[in-house]
Amino acid sequence: MLPKLKPITIKERFSLLFLERGELDVIDGAFVLVDKNGVRMQIPVGGIACLMLEPGSRVSHAAAVLAAQVGCLLIWVGEAAVRLYSAGQPGGARADRLLYQAQLALDDEARRKVVRKMYEMRFNEKMSEDYSVEQMRGIEGSRVKKLYGLLAKRAGVEWNGRCYDYTDWDSGDLQNKCLSSATSCLYGVTEAAVLAAGYSPAIGFIHTGKPRSFIYDIADLFKFETVVPVAFQVAAKNPSNPERAVRVACRDVFRETRLLKKIIPAIEEVLAAGGLSIPEEPPESLPPAIPNERGLNDAGHRP
Amino acid sequence: MMLVIVLENTTPRLRGRLTLWLLEIRAGVYVGEYSVKVRDMIWKNVETEFNDGNIQGSAIMIWSARNEIGFDFKVLGENRRIPREMDGIKLISFMPETKVEE
Repeated sequence: MLPKLKPITIKERFSLLFLERGELDVIDGAFVLVDKNGVRMQIPVGGIACLMLEPGSRVSHAAAVLAAQVGCLLIWVGEAAVRLYSAGQPGGARADRLLYQAQLALDDEARRKVVRKMYEMRFNEKMSEDYSVEQMRGIEGSRVKKLYGLLAKRAGVEWNGRCYDYTDWDSGDLQNKCLSSATSCLYGVTEAAVLAAGYSPAIGFIHTGKPRSFIYDIADLFKFETVVPVAFQVAAKNPSNPERAVRVACRDVFRETRLLKKIIPAIEEVLAAGGLSIPEEPPESLPPAIPNERGLNDAGHRP
Repeated sequence: MMLVIVLENTTPRLRGRLTLWLLEIRAGVYVGEYSVKVRDMIWKNVETEFNDGNIQGSAIMIWSARNEIGFDFKVLGENRRIPREMDGIKLISFMPETKVEE
C-alpha cells in the first residue's frame, strides 16, 4: 500500500490553474483532465493552491476525494473567473483558530487594532492611535483612488474610476474587466490560504457581511502590489484574449512577489496585532479519542 | 529545490501517485521543485511501493544540492549501474552483463 495522502503547505505550491472543457477524473491514482477526444492531461493537484474550474468542466467523485486529500481548493467559476462555489478543502477544521478570529472580531478594541494593522501594512506607515475606524476608512478611500490613478498612468491607460456591474460583465471598460479578472485570481489564492491557515472566510474586520469578507481584507493587503499594476499593464497592451493574458501575468506576479509564502504569515501578523492569544482548551475538555496525525500541512488543512 | 525522479518498470499506481506533485514529462520521468520535507515525503511513496515487493524495476531521484557537484541522488532497486562513493564524490560503476543460465 502506498502511504496515506497528506496535504503540503501552501507556500510550497504554485498559485492557480484554470481548467475548462473536460472531465476531471482519477486514473491509476493520477488526477487527470480528460477531454472529449480522450486526451488526458495529468494535473499535479497536490502542488497547486487552487484549481479554478470554468464552465464546461465536470468533476467525478474520485477526483473530488483526491483533491480533498491533497488539500487543493476547487473553485467553480463562471464567466470571467467570477467565483460561484468552492469545495475540496472546506474551512472550519480548527476550532481554536475560528474562536480566536471571532474573539478578535467581537472585541471592539481588538478589532480596531487589527483594522489599524491592516491599514498600516497596506500603506506602509504608522496610523495614529486617535483615528477611528471611519477616519481610517476615509483615508484609505482617498489613497486607493489616487493609487488607481497613479498605477493606470504608469501603465499608460486611461482611468475613469473603478466601476463595474457584477450582473453584466460586458458593460465594463477593458481596464475594469482586467481588474475584475485579476482580483478574482487573487481572491482564489487568498481563499485557499485563509482556509489552509484554519480561519473563516466570512469573519472580516474591514469588510463585513459577505461570505468572503475576510478574504477581501487579506487580499487588499496585497492587491496594489500585485494584481492592480498587472491588470493595467495587460489593459495597456489591449490583447485579443485579455482574460488569458491577465491570468498569465497574475501567476508571474504572484511568483515574483512570493505571494504564497507571504499570505499566511501576513494573516497571523494582522491578527496578532489584536493583542489576544489563541484560546486554550478549557481544562475540563475531552481530548480527541484518536490523536490527530501531524503532516506537512498548514494548520487548517484536514490531515 | 529542483528534483527529478526516474522510474523504470514499476507499478501504475506509483506512477500515478507521483503525478500528484510532479510533471511526468516522459514515461517514468518526473520533474518538480519542492523543499526537503516534501521531497522526502515523495520518495517515501516510492520506497513504500518498492518495499511491498513485486517490483523488478528501479527508481532514482536526483535533486539540486549545495555540494561540489551541485546535485545529489538516491537509487532504489536492481540496476547494472551502481553508485560508488570516491572520497566524497559519488560516481557510477557499470556492472558487466551477467549471463543468464539456460
